Amino acid sequence: MKSTGTLAVKNVSKKFKSQEGEIHVLDDINLSVKSGEFITIVGLSGCGKTTLLRLIVGLESDYAGDILLDGRKLNGPSLDRGIVFQDHRLFPWLTVEKNVGLGIVGKTDAEKKEIVQNHIELVGLKGFEKSYPYQLSGGMSQRAAIARSLVNNPKILLLDEPLGALDALTRMYMHKELERIWKKESITMIMVTHDVDEAVYLSDKIVVMSARPGKLQKIIPVPLSRPRDRASIDFAQMKEKVLEEFMLHTEQNFNYSI
Amino acid sequence: MPFIKSEKIKTVAIGLIVPILLVIFIEVICKLEMVPSQIVIPPHKVVITFLELMNTGELSEHFRISLSRVLAGFVLGASLGFITGTVIALSKRSERIVAPLLSALSQVPLFGWIPILILWFGIGETFKVVFIAFGAFFPMLINTFEGIHGVPKSYIEVARAFEFSSVKLLGKVLLPAALPSLFTGIKLALGMSWMLVVGAELVAAGEGVGYLIVWGRQLFQMDIVFVGIAVVGCIGYLMFLTLNTFESSLMRWHRPTATK
Repeated sequence: MKSTGTLAVKNVSKKFKSQEGEIHVLDDINLSVKSGEFITIVGLSGCGKTTLLRLIVGLESDYAGDILLDGRKLNGPSLDRGIVFQDHRLFPWLTVEKNVGLGIVGKTDAEKKEIVQNHIELVGLKGFEKSYPYQLSGGMSQRAAIARSLVNNPKILLLDEPLGALDALTRMYMHKELERIWKKESITMIMVTHDVDEAVYLSDKIVVMSARPGKLQKIIPVPLSRPRDRASIDFAQMKEKVLEEFMLHTEQNFNYSI
Repeated sequence: MPFIKSEKIKTVAIGLIVPILLVIFIEVICKLEMVPSQIVIPPHKVVITFLELMNTGELSEHFRISLSRVLAGFVLGASLGFITGTVIALSKRSERIVAPLLSALSQVPLFGWIPILILWFGIGETFKVVFIAFGAFFPMLINTFEGIHGVPKSYIEVARAFEFSSVKLLGKVLLPAALPSLFTGIKLALGMSWMLVVGAELVAAGEGVGYLIVWGRQLFQMDIVFVGIAVVGCIGYLMFLTLNTFESSLMRWHRPTATK
């Protein structure tokens, strides 16, 4: 068992300065994530969910409040937090293999090679080691990006709408893959998304955010057993519950029970 | 494979149509004596003179000298341009300090420097190398700066997330990402160097391809002048071609069809 991260976000607020004055992006966010949990943050565009993720990665600084990983306050980016961006951000001049191995530090060449190979196999890209990013499909690129983010065994993996640009079928396939990787690596994952189906399929907890300023609206636990069945009533009801938060649920004229 | 080959031959053949027509045209107007034969030389005579100059070894000697000047000036100027461009792209402060001076200097036509350079360095090799270096410096500087400056922020964030050191950031992200721009700089710098060597040799030299052109004119041997011009043009084109081949082999990763 390797160490996984517990994350605590305490009273975090963030403002951006612009020409029209200050914009309040995040307002008093409190969130705690247990070790090995899969959390999704769901919200409309502009609700600050990506900003929150970037704060946790350490790419944004200058915020009020505390973010603690395993009890220690964050200070800039670190290898114990992996990140997968919305655009895969593979370096086009490197092969898949080189891209994946890019961030590995403090290992011999032989160890490095093994780590790279293991992670390429983990994400199911065996056979594409020597391919350049332009030769990969969107889904494959994101797989490579996931492999790259995991090579240093981070305690926590942050995913910023990683599947947003994929077609619906590939996305559903990637949900399964992501769940498999999450289980295999027993790692804490926090994913930002605006896809409710995705959130219900993957999460232990769904964090719903409201916009302007970004506030934590509700935390919805998802107690469904895995692997989850999209066609089940429980799944549909869970989705309704999340959509209710966005006033997007279907009004029921009457209730019935079996 | 044979398909690619015939495609390549086609491309080359299309590029040759205009030059061949031009040669035929000049040949014809010379034959019809429409222009004085001392001023416009029929192409076949230029070829004969070319072969004669090659036979005596004269031409290759001039060429060798010009080329060594170009290389010295190019290497000096382009590497200074590369270093300066990198430094000012990385540090906002250094950009503020030197950018105004550099952009003012780059506005001065290169031939405007000749009198001062001759005064400082005489008319020997140093003058020519410095003059060429001047020409190579600015295109390399500008393209290095633009290239590094234009590296997408998203790539830099990846490097930050992986805690890259500044050296690793430069070597593994900024320079590779700037490579297309660096190549543009190298091509422009080399092209400029080749132009300036001829310029410098026209002004003050006892050998070199540029000198050959001046010398031919003084003797009123226009065939020599044309040989010089043709050699300068062809070598310049070959340099460009070589660099392009090198570039595309180095940048296989570049999307074959640009979609972004």
